Amino acid sequence: MKAVGARLPRYDGIAHVTGRTKYVADQSAQGMLACKGLRSPHHSARIVSIDTSKAEAHPGVFAVATYKDMPKNTVGHLEALGVPADEPYLAEHEVRFKGQLIGGVAAIDEATALEALDLIDVKYEVREPFLDIRKAFDPGQPQMTEKGNVFFYDPYDHRKVTKGDVDAAFEKADVIVKGSYRPSAIEQAPIEPQGCLVVPESDGRLTVYTCTQAMYFTMGVLAEHLQRTPGSIKLVGGTVGGGFGGKVDSATEPLAAILALKARRPVRWIFTREEEMLCGSVRASWHVEMADALTKDGWILGRKVLTLHDAGAYTRFSSYGATKHSFHLAGAYTVPALRTRAYVVWSNHVPTTAMRGFGVTSASFAIELQMTRNADVLGIDPWEFRLKNANRPGDLMPTRKVLEDPSTIDTIRACAEAVGHPLSATYRDMKNDERSGEWLPPHLVDQAAHAKLGDPQEAAR
Amino acid sequence: MHLVVNGLGHEIRADGLTSLLRVLREELFILSPKAGCEQGGCGACTVLIDGQPRRSCLTPLAALEGAEVTTVEGLSDGVDLAPIQQAFYDTYASQCGFCSPGMMMAATALLAHTPDASRDQISEALEGHICRCTGYVKILDAVESVAKAGAA
Repeated sequence: MKAVGARLPRYDGIAHVTGRTKYVADQSAQGMLACKGLRSPHHSARIVSIDTSKAEAHPGVFAVATYKDMPKNTVGHLEALGVPADEPYLAEHEVRFKGQLIGGVAAIDEATALEALDLIDVKYEVREPFLDIRKAFDPGQPQMTEKGNVFFYDPYDHRKVTKGDVDAAFEKADVIVKGSYRPSAIEQAPIEPQGCLVVPESDGRLTVYTCTQAMYFTMGVLAEHLQRTPGSIKLVGGTVGGGFGGKVDSATEPLAAILALKARRPVRWIFTREEEMLCGSVRASWHVEMADALTKDGWILGRKVLTLHDAGAYTRFSSYGATKHSFHLAGAYTVPALRTRAYVVWSNHVPTTAMRGFGVTSASFAIELQMTRNADVLGIDPWEFRLKNANRPGDLMPTRKVLEDPSTIDTIRACAEAVGHPLSATYRDMKNDERSGEWLPPHLVDQAAHAKLGDPQEAAR
Repeated sequence: MHLVVNGLGHEIRADGLTSLLRVLREELFILSPKAGCEQGGCGACTVLIDGQPRRSCLTPLAALEGAEVTTVEGLSDGVDLAPIQQAFYDTYASQCGFCSPGMMMAATALLAHTPDASRDQISEALEGHICRCTGYVKILDAVESVAKAGAA
């Protein structure tokens, strides 16, 4: 325990301040080629044909790759959890988002690679894109797949969390407050654009310099795409120029690797800022509809939530993100009756992925706006409304987890003090204790009793 | 084309429209200036040209006849750190580190002509330098600690 609370020097600090830290774009290798990716100019189109012959013949070009070159083109990020793989790494017969990778070129330098990209002839049949997830259930919309525009993973079409008698809560309510919340997509925007350098070694192994945030995950994905053993791939990384979730998708390694194997030369591919912003996966946009059943004196009796998660064109981690979202829809407050339905919707937007607080920030955004709206409608101080409904030790979360040491009360009181928001004496002195007295109203007695029961069989049902 | 970088003269082969950033990184293997956007938007490629902070990604080689360029490699010998490097190290101003070289060069230029710069002046000098890790507070703290030493 020497490190906790101590101000220790950063192990990489001297290299950072002397400019000697080697990020992936600072790596090079003898005979290294530059890679550029061919990307879809359309949101949605059928690919009629891809002709790479002119690009292959272009002077200075060492290799051109399309889906035909990838030993296993479709690898699912969550296959281990039972989420089917749905995304071809290089587009095959259709493109589902603007910027989707179709192929790539390895050439003597970047300018030559860009010239060669212009020589690849792709014929498209452009289709009407599906871009507004609020229309996911409407008839007559463009269909993303044969199964439609909504998915979760077999056998379910959505994630639900249910606790208590929601209908009874809404019947008993003095006031029902509704709101729609739409946090938009966000690019992680690390200052270091993502990339890699793949070196085919003379012993047949591949050395992959990478900025990935997830070394073993990337190794697994790459090995699967290339149909090689992980032991034949050596990843060199751990130096990440900012990631924030945007460097977990193994976006560059498979293409650079397949080009390096074809060209038998090292290949480096670093995204441009445009690629990072326009084609790299983002934090998803969400549509959250929330209705709260309230008493006049400021108790939350129940909540209903409908969430539409814009996954973008392919699944990636969306089923997982929507699950995390669903598990947090009570927020830091106790909601004795809850019914949530979260749908993951495919659209012709860029596929979405992790970003700090994956799935949960969208829930918090909606919850906190809704909490303030609730307080405004009731004419109660929004800080005190939150404190009144705050999680307490012994409360039962919607996921059947009994809270042992929630920090809502202490956190809100500390925030109020920090910003100088006056609280009435009742709330200023509020303790983070188990419910009793005025803080154990009749509608919370049941959940308190249930929490103490702690029956795992009950939780499983 | 003759170019002086960190006190050493180089004969550069690249053509005149090549950016200084590419010349530094690809011809001279001076790697501290970073290509964050190559559009002049992030500040990670900032170097000193005749003492002034400049975006090397937007500076063509042809504009540098007779100029002296300084990068982080020229701030110190890497063993005994310059005050701005020591401050970035001590105050944890460098997290992922990618924006740090540009930040330190902009701060160096500021402190050269305003050794006792105020926090507001430091903020102004670092405008246009994007950091996605730190939230900037530690960076301002680092530069301010050098400025306070300069004022003392």
